[in-house]
Amino acid sequence: MKPLPALLLCATLWATGCATTPPGPPLPDAQADPVAHGLAMIERAPRRDRVLWQYRTALHALRRGQYDTAARLLDEALVRINNIFGPDRDAKKARSLFHAESKKSFIGEPYERVMANFYRGMLYWRAGEVDNARACFRNAQFMDSDAEEKTYAGDYILMDYLDGYATVKLGGDGADAFQRAQSRAPAPLPAYNPRANLLIFLEYGPGPQKYATGEYQEQLRFRTFESPVVMAVIKMGTQELARVGPYDDLNFQATTRGGRVMDHVLKNKAVFKSATDTAGNVAVIGGAAMTMNDNTQEAGLVVLGVGLVAKLIAAAANPAADVRCWDNLPQYLGFAALELPPGRHPLTIEFWNRDQAPVATFTKQWNVTVAPDRDTVIFVSDQSVNLMDL
Amino acid sequence: MIMKRLKPWIFLGVLALYAGGCTSAGVKNPSGTGVKVLRPDEAGFVAGTGIESQDLVAVTDKIARNILEVPEIKNAQTPPRIVLEPVINETRFTINKDMFLTRIQTELISKAGGKVRFLARERMAALEREREMKRSGQVTSTTDPKLQEFKGADYFLTGKLQSLTTRTSRGTSDYILYTFELIDARTTEIVFKDSMEIKKQGQEDAAYR
Repeated sequence: MKPLPALLLCATLWATGCATTPPGPPLPDAQADPVAHGLAMIERAPRRDRVLWQYRTALHALRRGQYDTAARLLDEALVRINNIFGPDRDAKKARSLFHAESKKSFIGEPYERVMANFYRGMLYWRAGEVDNARACFRNAQFMDSDAEEKTYAGDYILMDYLDGYATVKLGGDGADAFQRAQSRAPAPLPAYNPRANLLIFLEYGPGPQKYATGEYQEQLRFRTFESPVVMAVIKMGTQELARVGPYDDLNFQATTRGGRVMDHVLKNKAVFKSATDTAGNVAVIGGAAMTMNDNTQEAGLVVLGVGLVAKLIAAAANPAADVRCWDNLPQYLGFAALELPPGRHPLTIEFWNRDQAPVATFTKQWNVTVAPDRDTVIFVSDQSVNLMDL
Repeated sequence: MIMKRLKPWIFLGVLALYAGGCTSAGVKNPSGTGVKVLRPDEAGFVAGTGIESQDLVAVTDKIARNILEVPEIKNAQTPPRIVLEPVINETRFTINKDMFLTRIQTELISKAGGKVRFLARERMAALEREREMKRSGQVTSTTDPKLQEFKGADYFLTGKLQSLTTRTSRGTSDYILYTFELIDARTTEIVFKDSMEIKKQGQEDAAYR
């Protein structure tokens, strides 16, 4: 056998070695059925992205009234994000010089972890497990507690407010939690009504998106958008029941925490990449110059080689920040607790813009059945599909 | 001649490269981890700072053991009847709180030799339905169905889970206090109260901070 054909045969076989993997069924359309698409992605995406898809899909499911699916996905995600202590091979790789931060298993930035707990807490309340709901709101606030900017640590208004509300519903004293919430709120918060039996969790506006900047994309930044909606108005017929402004703003939460420990790691990686590249340039140029002279030609070749190796190492170093993002989060969170007689009620939820006018495309008209013996919890997003009956 | 000698090696090289083409590039631990059976009181390699099976076992073992030493239970002429009241969870951890009382109940029934009895109050709807069917003659009855035979409770067993969490740049610490009490249903006296404290701490990788 001649060497060249043998080599070509080797290359062909090697390249086709994996071509036997059967292709999976086509992905469901993300626009038509984002829940089915997300569920498929959870199975197909790399393991390190699984939580990201669980987050996204759970929220799509919530907005479509698929509460059991949302609860299951959030449970799976929370098991992962609440147990990240100790050595982790993916995380170690993400810190290494030659891998991007996105090599680590995604658990999200603190505001994303807060929201996973928040949504799960809402679903626990909906299922009548008020103390587990309270545990989620407390854990949500905890997720935000380790900020570099201490002023903004654990500063969600709604998490404390709901912690206190759940305590009141359980027959306890929610005053401490209420005070904590009130101390950060720009306006007086509604007093707790223990007899309120319809709890409405509201969200609206587009949430923060991540991007990377810096010479090597090593700096994580958040892009925010102006929300077309600034308030939700709940009506029954022509009667206005409540106006709900934002309790929390996720854009504010994402952008006020200060730097991360990982930012220092990425900065060091970027410095290494830059310094090694510069050293490589100097060595290549210097080495090339030395090769011009017969007396230093050999040494010049060595220096040139060292320079090229340094350039290769610099090229391989990867300080890129992780920009994987729970990209369907809202900007604003709101909450209303109403006291209504048990039975069916036609509710209209309007989302108002800065001019105090409803944005018609977001208006929901739902028939809500208030239970006689426990709290009825509904979730309304400006992105919710119109569910009609709850 | 040289080519003849090299042929087997070329063949092996081709085979190795073909197999290499199928290695699961980028897949960590592609063959997975075999199932390892752990005792429920054993800390596994997947651990957080929250409530875990080894805590549940340790707490319920201790409480069940100590309940049997309470004079009102130990010296009772007839087995006292106990009703379970839901545990109050004040921690930041979501739990299936019924598990604590279920395990205490199981321990007491299986190891106390009939010293205590439990009333199935959580099954009252089904029990009342059965009694009504007996009273109306829809089903047979071995005793007079008109007699009131549902027993009242002598004691209520309940508990509370509370926690303190500290988080600094050096890690997370969770202290959880598990408290259980036995309340005399007639006098409202607390005849037994015991607690167990568990503290855990850990720190996540810098990549997550």
